[in-house]
Amino acid sequence: MNDPQEVGRRLDAVDYLVDDGLAMAVFLALRLGKPLLLEGEPGVGKTAAAKALAQALDTPLIRLQCYEGLTAGEALYEWNYQRQLLAIRLAEARHERLGDDDLFTAEFLQERPILKAVRYAGPTPPVLLIDEIDRADDEFEALLFEFLGEAAVTVPELGTFTAVRPPVVVLTSNRSRDLHDALRRRCLYHWIEFPAAARAAEIVRRAVPGASAPLIASATEFIGRVRALDLDKAPGLAETIDWVSALSALGATELAPADALHTLGTIAKTPDDRLVVAGAVHEEIA
Amino acid sequence: MLLRGVDRAAFAVSFANRLRGAGVLAGLTEIDDLVRALGAHPPDSRRALYWTARISLVRRESDLAAFDRVFEAVFTDAAPLPLNRSAAAGPAGRRDDVHVPVPGGAGPAASGGGLPWATLPPAVAEAEPGDESGLFLPQVRPSAVEALAARPFEELDPRETALLGEVLRRELTNWPSRRTRRHAPARSGRRVALRATISRARRTAWEPVTIVRERPRRRPRRVVMLCDVSESMRAQATAYLHLMRAFATVTPAEVFAFATRLTRLTPALTRKSAAEAIEQATAAVSDRFGGTRIATNIAALLRSHHGNALRGALVVIASDGWDSDPAPELAAAMARLSRRAHAVLWLNPRAGAPGFTPAVAAMAAALPYCTTLRPAATFDDLFAAARAMQSLGNADFR
Repeated sequence: MNDPQEVGRRLDAVDYLVDDGLAMAVFLALRLGKPLLLEGEPGVGKTAAAKALAQALDTPLIRLQCYEGLTAGEALYEWNYQRQLLAIRLAEARHERLGDDDLFTAEFLQERPILKAVRYAGPTPPVLLIDEIDRADDEFEALLFEFLGEAAVTVPELGTFTAVRPPVVVLTSNRSRDLHDALRRRCLYHWIEFPAAARAAEIVRRAVPGASAPLIASATEFIGRVRALDLDKAPGLAETIDWVSALSALGATELAPADALHTLGTIAKTPDDRLVVAGAVHEEIA
Repeated sequence: MLLRGVDRAAFAVSFANRLRGAGVLAGLTEIDDLVRALGAHPPDSRRALYWTARISLVRRESDLAAFDRVFEAVFTDAAPLPLNRSAAAGPAGRRDDVHVPVPGGAGPAASGGGLPWATLPPAVAEAEPGDESGLFLPQVRPSAVEALAARPFEELDPRETALLGEVLRRELTNWPSRRTRRHAPARSGRRVALRATISRARRTAWEPVTIVRERPRRRPRRVVMLCDVSESMRAQATAYLHLMRAFATVTPAEVFAFATRLTRLTPALTRKSAAEAIEQATAAVSDRFGGTRIATNIAALLRSHHGNALRGALVVIASDGWDSDPAPELAAAMARLSRRAHAVLWLNPRAGAPGFTPAVAAMAAALPYCTTLRPAATFDDLFAAARAMQSLGNADFR
């Protein structure tokens, strides 16, 4: 891709709408070959950005979901111990001698997402999504540094694997923990803002093709007003899309209070929020 | 085309300098990124330049506002920004804590009182006004600390409070821990560590003779402390700041102060020097000694992105329970808080008074959701509370 506008067009073609900032961020990440760290409120389309990018580049998406206690064994590689033990027994039965080189070879290596991305052999590099990096503990961040800096993974028994074509890396974070400066330094950063009403409506229209235009317009406008209320969990774009698909599944072509109340569970996710949003429905939807 | 014929490197360096002046951490890596980005896509509009610079130079959301200000100042005809560092950066940390001026051994004339024999020096050195300039090594007798610790906060001068705060910090060892999902080799572990076992089997012709075992690693449980700094808590506020600093330096803690609004003090209180930390924390709280809105502030914490820090944490709330929010709101906020936290401990400076009953509406509403309510009027109480937290943190009542 030659310029940010082309990035925008290619993502648009796979139904992911970007603003100038995200287009520039993706373009620079691709051009400079650096990982891209995306932050933003939940449900604003961070994970979807990586998925759309993979689709636009026509390469596989390799996903690593982070969680506490994530180790090298789950993220980089693991030896297949069961097979190693079997190989030992087999060699014993055949009265053969086993050397170091026989047990720690690529044959016994199990690739986990990051090593898989490094060793990917296809024509275009894959997109590696490291999702919700803030959920992993800080030891895990340190484990990523070699990969993020050099696109390489070192297996002590085998040597260093370096990617021929470095994968496109997208990291997302919900800021439940402050990420280390060393990690931030290795990535380009973009904060995704919640889109304005018109753009939000366009995004929903692409995500729910069957929904009627007046329904989408009034629903996104209503969500915009609800977001200004005092809520525990303000509904994001993902919730808006769920809500509009729920409403159109009910056959609604316009926003009516009864339908809105029935489908409230898609946008209000705690009992308190349910009360507040239900109040807003009564007030605002005539 | 913007910036035609401009030396990109010089431009990037001086722009990053401007940003650093405004407190944005833009280092050499970021400058390098900007130079390469400008080369990859020479900006054709101010907007493109804005995004190129922002994406290559800014690495955290909190820096965005400062970046916008600097960008405005540089690329529009606005008044130039002062190039001084933000107050948050401050001077390099002073490690002057060991020099807490404490009255040394009193002169012989003072203690002996002119008598022909030597008496033992007094256990509690009288607070002598006047000669404050001399620095003494803090040779504090344990009995002196004990006597001070039993006195209510309002009778302590700042120096004694600082001293006791330091003692409190040292007291907080053996912190409660929680099990993590990571494993570490241990003789008494239950799970077989296959990787270690097989690499050990190399030495014995691949016959796994020694079985290496592992068990879950433990790490300190997080503490989240919310401290009331309203008018009714004026006497206790400084002592509680020391307790918060003790937590912030010993454990992975998050500390907040509130009166009418919530202020996060974690970055300020983790500084090395006690005096500096307390100074910065005091400066950070703008609504000090105002009214109290406990329910609003707890709800705000639950809603913010720090609300996730509450999961599985030991939550300490230090307040006398005088709340200007309605009690049902506090009950609702406390219910959510207690569902998220591992244990909730309420420190009330008045709970130690004889005949105390939690009769204030807010206190009565919050009590069902607290694991314990403890008095906190003296440093002795704080020591006891810290010990109670250590057992609470290890207990599994879920």
